[in-house]
Amino acid sequence: MKKLIYAALAIILATSLLWVGSIHFERAQNAETGTNGNKVLNLYNWGDYIDPALITKFEKQTGIKVNYETFDSNEAMVTKIKQGGTSYDLTVPSDYMIQKMKKENLLLPIHKSKITTLKYIDKRFLNLAFDRHNKYSIPYFWGTLGIVYNDKYVKRHEISQWNDLWNSKYRDKIMLIDSARDILGLSLISQGNSLNDKSSADLQAAKGKLDALMPNVKAIVADEIKMYMVQEEAPIAVTYSGEAAEMIAQNKHLHYIVPTKGSNEWFDNLVIPKTAKHIAAAYQFINFINQPENAKQNAEYIGYATPNAKAKQLLPKSIRTDQQFYPSAKTLSKLQVYQDLGQKKTQEYNDLFLEFKMTNR
Amino acid sequence: MNINKTRFWPTIYLIVVFILLYAPIFYLIFYSFNAGKYMHDFAGFSLRHYRQLFNDARMMEIVFNTFIVALLSSLIATIIGTLGAIGIYGTKNRVMRNVILSLNNVLMVSPDVIIGASFLIFFTMLGIGLGFGSVLMSHIAFSIPIVVLMVLPKLNEMNYSLLDAAQDLGANSWQVLTRVVLPYITSGIFAGFFMAFTYSLDDFAVTFFVTGNGFSTLSVEIYSRARQGVSLEINALSTLMFLISLILVVGYFMIDSYNSGRKAKKGKLSA
Repeated sequence: MKKLIYAALAIILATSLLWVGSIHFERAQNAETGTNGNKVLNLYNWGDYIDPALITKFEKQTGIKVNYETFDSNEAMVTKIKQGGTSYDLTVPSDYMIQKMKKENLLLPIHKSKITTLKYIDKRFLNLAFDRHNKYSIPYFWGTLGIVYNDKYVKRHEISQWNDLWNSKYRDKIMLIDSARDILGLSLISQGNSLNDKSSADLQAAKGKLDALMPNVKAIVADEIKMYMVQEEAPIAVTYSGEAAEMIAQNKHLHYIVPTKGSNEWFDNLVIPKTAKHIAAAYQFINFINQPENAKQNAEYIGYATPNAKAKQLLPKSIRTDQQFYPSAKTLSKLQVYQDLGQKKTQEYNDLFLEFKMTNR
Repeated sequence: MNINKTRFWPTIYLIVVFILLYAPIFYLIFYSFNAGKYMHDFAGFSLRHYRQLFNDARMMEIVFNTFIVALLSSLIATIIGTLGAIGIYGTKNRVMRNVILSLNNVLMVSPDVIIGASFLIFFTMLGIGLGFGSVLMSHIAFSIPIVVLMVLPKLNEMNYSLLDAAQDLGANSWQVLTRVVLPYITSGIFAGFFMAFTYSLDDFAVTFFVTGNGFSTLSVEIYSRARQGVSLEINALSTLMFLISLILVVGYFMIDSYNSGRKAKKGKLSA
């Protein structure tokens, strides 16, 4: 009995020590920035999707403490917000998810008169199909779907379109990102159809064409695709521009291209969820992050393409003119944005993709 | 000759298994000292990732919070679980006892994701804000069945006549509990506590659903950060955690062997 009581006391003592430590580090975070925890902003973002130095700068400038919380998928984020119990003031869903959140009344409209930095955003990124007149969202980053290749094994210009992937010399050489809409989408585009095609016949045809690609496919993987490409497990991969930027940073032999005949273009946008409690702080943050010099710093840290025209001008020329991540106007005109297809069609895409994955090689 | 032969293959097998288990950990530890930024191309020895870790106040706060939740939740779960086990042990009705035990086991085998989702719904329905409290409560809840399962066998192992004898000698039920039952099952209680502790420390699925409002634990934080590729700061942290658990295991082993040595000595003296 004595032993148990001593053990319990020891645990309580250890807990209190840890508690003191925890408070110390919380204070350290506050002291660094001069915030006192009275004014806060709960920011719910993808992991590592903002330059931490910018958060510190924002805290110093405004005295608002930023609680930075992270999620790893649009779906997880929406579940958390829908359930309530949290009070996120700002979050960053992708295009199709904004459409869905809008439908489910999870967003607060944004008063554009309060967004003084809206003028810096490239007009091309405003008033898009998923959120007309930007009633609910302000662009944060954007990117594309494309092909990464390794110049040790694949020559420049050998691959420029989706159709080149079907070339028989790439047998067992291609890695695909595990995503139903992206992979069926590339097949749809290669047949001249829309990414948001709802016709079952077109989808069947796209799936049929994909089956013919199977002999060339080495693997269908998720986030690991980055690691595999860097370690040169495969010479070709279909993935997103953001992932590609990181691969290229780690392995100079890798290059990224966006097929000029069309591909997907995606956007991550800042929105204010229904649960927000610090709306003024949220507006302050949106304005802060879109200040050209801040947006530029953020773009340099993340490596994704910024929709902020003024910030883009500030970026070094080598980045600004990099066709890999800021494609030419001609390619841009061919890019398409995903729209929410509704549950039934989404399921059809998923089922077809699953069938494709089970195809015998 | 024959004996050597029979020992050879088992030893090889054991070595292979241990290599499989530990190689990834040592690989990870090795790269935590990398001067470079990635888990390949070792660029020379450096402690920069450790420095970075200790300067990352957010990460350190999360580490501390994670340990607070783990210690506190397993302590409370151990108390409740031990009393629960004693309760189950004392239930005379066989059917009733099996029903309670099965209900306990259902919680053990049901998937974490489902438990997490139901906690999320439960807390939001009651209007309890997500944060430290919700994480602590859910960790206590999923740890209790583990403690019960660790303590119950110890109770069953105990000779019932011990209790009768204590009562015959005039002990009241409090004295029976604290002087006979608890000392007998102490090792089971400690085992339950450590199991609950490790469960709480590495739980991701349940915690993911119930964190919020600025409170987060290690597993959730690391998982979210991993989207951009795991930074070597995480390697540094994992190395330290590995060392801490190694020290704990060695410490536990030494205390254990010291105690059993003392017991053996005592036994000799009294004999």
